[in-house]
Amino acid sequence: MVREGQRIDVVGLTKRFGAVTALDDLTFHVEPGAVTGFLGPNGAGKTTTLRCLLGLVAPTAGTATVGGRLYRDIPGPATVVGASLEASSFHPGRTARAHLQVLALGSNIPVSRCEEMLAQVGLSAVAGRRVGGFSLGMRQRLALAAALIGDPSVLLLDEPANGLDPAGIAWLRGFLRALAAEGRTVLVSSHVLSEVQQSVDDVVVISRGRLVRRGPLSELDTGPHAVRVRTPEPARLREVLAVHLPDAALETQPDGALRAIGVTAEQVGHLAHVEGVELHELAAEAGDLEKVFLAMTEDVEQPDMDGLGAAQPGQPVTL
Amino acid sequence: MTGLVRAELRKISSTRLWWGLLLAAVVYTAVSAGATAGFAGVEPGGGQPASPGLDTASAIRGVYAGAAFSGAYILAMILGITGMTGEYRYQTITATFLSCPRRGRVVAAKMAAHLGYGLGYGVVALVTAVVVGAIVIAARGYALGFSTDGLGRAMALAVVAVALWTLVGIGIGTLIRNQIVAILVGVFLTFLLEPLVSLALHALDWDAVSKYLPSNASTALTSASNPYVDFLSWWAGGLVLLGYAVVFAAIGVLLSRRRDIT
Repeated sequence: MVREGQRIDVVGLTKRFGAVTALDDLTFHVEPGAVTGFLGPNGAGKTTTLRCLLGLVAPTAGTATVGGRLYRDIPGPATVVGASLEASSFHPGRTARAHLQVLALGSNIPVSRCEEMLAQVGLSAVAGRRVGGFSLGMRQRLALAAALIGDPSVLLLDEPANGLDPAGIAWLRGFLRALAAEGRTVLVSSHVLSEVQQSVDDVVVISRGRLVRRGPLSELDTGPHAVRVRTPEPARLREVLAVHLPDAALETQPDGALRAIGVTAEQVGHLAHVEGVELHELAAEAGDLEKVFLAMTEDVEQPDMDGLGAAQPGQPVTL
Repeated sequence: MTGLVRAELRKISSTRLWWGLLLAAVVYTAVSAGATAGFAGVEPGGGQPASPGLDTASAIRGVYAGAAFSGAYILAMILGITGMTGEYRYQTITATFLSCPRRGRVVAAKMAAHLGYGLGYGVVALVTAVVVGAIVIAARGYALGFSTDGLGRAMALAVVAVALWTLVGIGIGTLIRNQIVAILVGVFLTFLLEPLVSLALHALDWDAVSKYLPSNASTALTSASNPYVDFLSWWAGGLVLLGYAVVFAAIGVLLSRRRDIT
């Protein structure tokens, strides 16, 4: 079944809580039919953005709409937008089944749908147990069932992988992919890129309430490569590198090893071999996305984080 | 709106609080009815006059209807308070407002659902008061007095008054979102502050104001006797109680309409 997804539009969204600016003129769009990762460190404003989209938090300025409408203007909103915000928002004395029944009744959804959803997230066996005794992973599954109860075309999930074990994360990945393949709009927030790295198509990265990057995950710049080299003759290696690879930036690490940025391990290994420099260690640093992500979000105000291609201050980079 | 009310009913029925409070109401009502019947017409000593005996209509109404009300209304109020504040305590208010972003309608649905439970509390309390009261009256050798003047009406109105107090509870809970504070304030107001204010107003000869206090409005409904105050007519008492509930809730909704749910 392919459905007509709805676009999420966040335009000039600003939210101040007293003196604290949680969101600062944030603008981005999320397209249907893909899983979009909404990334940023804790406190970046992800949850506030989602709460603005859901009409729970009133923006100071700007708009956050789904399919061009404010949440409160959508008739039967739970059947259009499904959301899970915190895995803790359950009454501990209510059973998993009763929790879903309350939601179904409130949105005029057939109560029979509750059993379907419990089965889909693998909670059928514990449906009659009180949520107070649930693990974080079970709560996450219940939160997901709650978000899906109205068969919505837009899904907003806040840190859904939090508390899931690796098998659970793999399950979630397949689940989200399938939902997006049906044409739904899926926005998944996380503060750990690696958690969602394999499930998202696009990313929206924010930090301190501002947009840092947005675009396809595949185009996230992993930055220049860096190589770690340990040698008993550091001065000689520096010389050789300076002559043959003048573009490489060199720095000495606390343990005396050299770090060459902008070159590959192959280049350094070849040179050392040809020039007869003794090496005790040669390792390419993983140009891993997590590092790029950290560098991007660590401090928006600092343009140069280890030369890993951080954004310019206050200037969102569209990939 | 029907869906919302059904959701609210399911919320109450799906946790154990409602029957815990109901159990407390039954115990409290039994004690209240037993004591009222046991001490009616007995001189308290110290030269004070005795209350009307069990051969009077007002004493019979007090045992069956008055005790049902006084045993259940505080617990009905607490049910209402927790029905609202529990949503904030457990953060389920997020899901509730996602189902229905119109916050005023959520409160209205809660009132409708709790009114139903309040009526149930009232009926159970009434049955308790009648059973316990009749046993004590019979033990003391008086006629059971089921055909006493105005007893049927007093019983029906006692049930209505209990139910209205759940709405007062919703109103208080909408105004004060912290569960513990709301319950303490509710109990403090009705148990301590209000009787004092009532006495003070009487001393100042301001009974005209005093009769609009929530518990005096309730008494007007249940028609128990109180030597200090002249009461509103029963329907006006009911309207005054309803008024408290609606005004508290309306202020709460107005204050929280734009409040961020974080």
